[in-house]
Amino acid sequence: MTSMRPLLLFLTLCLLPCVAASQDLGTEAQRAEGKVLYDVKCAHCHGYNGDAVSVATAYLHPTPRDFSSGNYKFRSTPSGELPTTEDIKRSIREGMPYTSMPAWEDILSESEITALAYYLKTFDQAFAGPYGNPTVIEIPQAPRYNTDEAHLTRGRAVFEANQCADCHGENGRGNGPSAPDLMDDWGYPIRPADMTKRWTYRASPTREDIYRTFTTGLNGTPMPSYQQTIEEEDRWALVDYVWSLSEDDPDYGTVVTATGRPGPLDLAGDVDLFVNVPEAYFPIVGQVIEQGRAFHPGVNGIAVRAVYNETDIAFQLSWHDMTAETTGMNHPGLKVAMFDPDQPDTTQGNWSDAVALLLPAAMPEGLERPYFMFGDPRNPMSIWYTDLAADSARVLSGQGSNAITETDFQLEHTANYNDGKWTVTMKGARQHGDMIFAEATFVPISFTVWDGYANERGNKRGLSAWYHVYLEPMERVSAAGPMAKWALIVLLVELALVGLVRWRTSRQRNK
Amino acid sequence: MNLVVLLAIAATLVAIQLVVTRWLKLNRLAWMALWWVALWAAFSYGINPPLPNSIIVLFMAIITIALIAYLSADSDELQAAQSAITRFMVDRQYAVPLLIALVALPLLVALRVYLETKAAPQPPSSSRTIHPPPPPSINFNGTTLNLTTANNPYRELEDSDPEAFAEHVANGRRIYFQNCFYCHGDNMEGSGMFAHGYDPLPANFNDATTIAMLQESYLFWRIAKGAPGLPSESTPWSSAMPAWEDFLTEQEIWDVIIFLYEFTGFEPRAQGMPH
Ligand code: HEC
Ligand code: HEC
Ligand code: HEC
Repeated sequence: MTSMRPLLLFLTLCLLPCVAASQDLGTEAQRAEGKVLYDVKCAHCHGYNGDAVSVATAYLHPTPRDFSSGNYKFRSTPSGELPTTEDIKRSIREGMPYTSMPAWEDILSESEITALAYYLKTFDQAFAGPYGNPTVIEIPQAPRYNTDEAHLTRGRAVFEANQCADCHGENGRGNGPSAPDLMDDWGYPIRPADMTKRWTYRASPTREDIYRTFTTGLNGTPMPSYQQTIEEEDRWALVDYVWSLSEDDPDYGTVVTATGRPGPLDLAGDVDLFVNVPEAYFPIVGQVIEQGRAFHPGVNGIAVRAVYNETDIAFQLSWHDMTAETTGMNHPGLKVAMFDPDQPDTTQGNWSDAVALLLPAAMPEGLERPYFMFGDPRNPMSIWYTDLAADSARVLSGQGSNAITETDFQLEHTANYNDGKWTVTMKGARQHGDMIFAEATFVPISFTVWDGYANERGNKRGLSAWYHVYLEPMERVSAAGPMAKWALIVLLVELALVGLVRWRTSRQRNK
Repeated sequence: MNLVVLLAIAATLVAIQLVVTRWLKLNRLAWMALWWVALWAAFSYGINPPLPNSIIVLFMAIITIALIAYLSADSDELQAAQSAITRFMVDRQYAVPLLIALVALPLLVALRVYLETKAAPQPPSSSRTIHPPPPPSINFNGTTLNLTTANNPYRELEDSDPEAFAEHVANGRRIYFQNCFYCHGDNMEGSGMFAHGYDPLPANFNDATTIAMLQESYLFWRIAKGAPGLPSESTPWSSAMPAWEDFLTEQEIWDVIIFLYEFTGFEPRAQGMPH
């Protein structure tokens, strides 16, 4: 044994430099440059020691990455291992959409991003150790997107066999049965991705990225790695199945076009009422303007359709929601305390989901309209409100978030929650009080969604800016009349001109 | 300016001058038509952000009048142009092109009418005044602040006590990253995580036309009173800018202003200089 000692010592001494040499830790100068940049651009979120202890952390969800833990979501390396320098650089370059982590590629140069990546590595000693140079899982080049039914059915089978739906839901809307209980490694609740919205994926939305996400997993989160469990040939079937559930671009709209449908608008009975009616999709963001700020709203978009007849107008609102809260209560006028990081909100379970569409109480004459935060005393707002626990819909009047009152106007409504998606319809008179929905006009409209699960109530809510609903005239004027008229006028003018010129020249010749 | 388009237009004109005229003698009228089209293309596609249609129509009307005036100034030229038109309408040899022109023009007009009726109607667009004149004074939680004379009380520390100044910067950083970056962005470029849901978009402080040309007292007014404090030409009903007097103290507002300038590297416009 003793005789082995010198040999071991010799071997270690010999190996140490070899190990160190294979780590990619940058130069002293690069790390120093990285530190200067980090303290100016990153430390207020990620903490001056890289441990996510910062002034902003309590306000953010997901919380900024704790670099001292070595847990990186985006990696090209096996589950549980450290990322490569290139992985870190890519996260800095492209950011993490729909979180507070922005893309820095337009702001920092490539060499600055490299310097930052090397500096981030200094927060975790493991980068300098034997695991600091992990193996990279090569992602093969994606084959062409294959929509054959057999291929997608196979993808669905892989999806089921690996319990993706457990977290992500039957149709990938982020609403699986385990979803509400998931926690990340730092003890914060985390929601499974809504797979249908590729633009919200944290780590890029290409097909190679989806392949990589379930192959390497997302460290620090419950999203597992399936490196061992899924056969190579099944992987692209799964990728294409996820791809087929999802869309690339939110294609945000600015106008809801209401389609004219003469005759009764039967919300409950007519399942075809909104079929073939164009849908517009609007972003929903947190109310961070007044008391009761919502820094991480549960809902990030709402799809809207509208139809109208001679007397009524009906709206269909639909959005993805991890869970349906149909007990408790909600109301736009509920008081909510100012967010205080030291006083966690322990009221969970009391609040139901709810939705409202907001309209001016009177059709504005000029551009002026009610303040988009529930109106103002000069310009009141009509709030078409449905509490999804109370199973009733009515119109409230808003003159500001502290001045919301009941009105006599009732609304017909239906509400349905199915597999992670709420669909609510509301119908009211085209004329009530001073408000008139006239044909061929643009009426200002905005939207508010309350996610009871995220303790949203009162002014703590997801909201939208002002958009418009346009009532497309029931009788479309045909273009044929005006077309013929103008073509004829032009033709007659031409003929007159040519005739005149010819007549004059022939007279001159005759002379 | 869209330099590529403008260069392409100029290159086309030069090419026609150099190449086409070798075989085909273009008369004055054809040249004028060419110039007309070139200018129209330059106005329509060569300028960024695009000019509104009504402005282009106005420009083209002026140019048409100018071209006609130019032509009629020289009676020989006028004569030549006139006889060219007359020949086109009268001579046998032009019968087919004339017929085509007579049919094509009404069809083009009909197409235009069709496209116009089919085009989706546009919602009323609201132009807003981004920097309205500030009120002479504001009431900040009970104290009156004269905006024409108010200065940032901590600005002088920059020279007199850099250490104390650095504390104000750090405090401003805290305030910004607890309150403002959701809209104005991590890098103050106006593209925070919620910016896409608000209209008008949050201000971009890196742009030379925002804080770089404003006085600190103006920023104090905008931050303290937010959107509700704006006059109606600045569409206070749609701006998401919060009124921070409800949440921040006077010192906190001056500190975050200091941080805005520190982070972007701009200097505030000195008091007393007109807007
Ligand atoms: C406004 C706060 C904020 C700022 C400023 C910020 N980040 Fe982040 N960053 C975050 C958040 C939040 C996350 C976590 C996102 C998630 O988990 O989905 C994150 C994640 C990351 C990740 C981890 C990616 C992964 O794979 O897990 C890296 C690397 C990173 N940030 C680097 C930086 C760098 C470098 C800077 C400065 C140039 C910076 N960040 C500035 C908030 C911020
Ligand atoms: C135990 C729960 C769980 C299971 C099972 C699960 N996921 Fe996830 N998945 C998550 C969570 C949580 C996230 C969100 C991580 C985050 O926000 O950073 C996620 C995120 C994702 C993303 C988005 C990645 C990105 O860039 O944002 C994809 C794609 C994905 N999962 C695919 C799958 C597939 C495919 C399966 C089945 C093979 C699966 N997941 C199984 C929990 C799970
Ligand atoms: C909810 C989004 C939001 C938040 C949060 C927010 N702002 Fe704004 N801010 C805006 C919008 C939108 C504008 C542009 C419209 C306007 O001028 O009112 C703006 C404009 C401004 C302006 C005027 C710039 C100019 O050129 O006139 C200043 C200064 C400003 N914000 C500072 C701040 C500060 C400081 C904070 C944090 C204490 C903050 N904002 C938080 C949305 C926001």
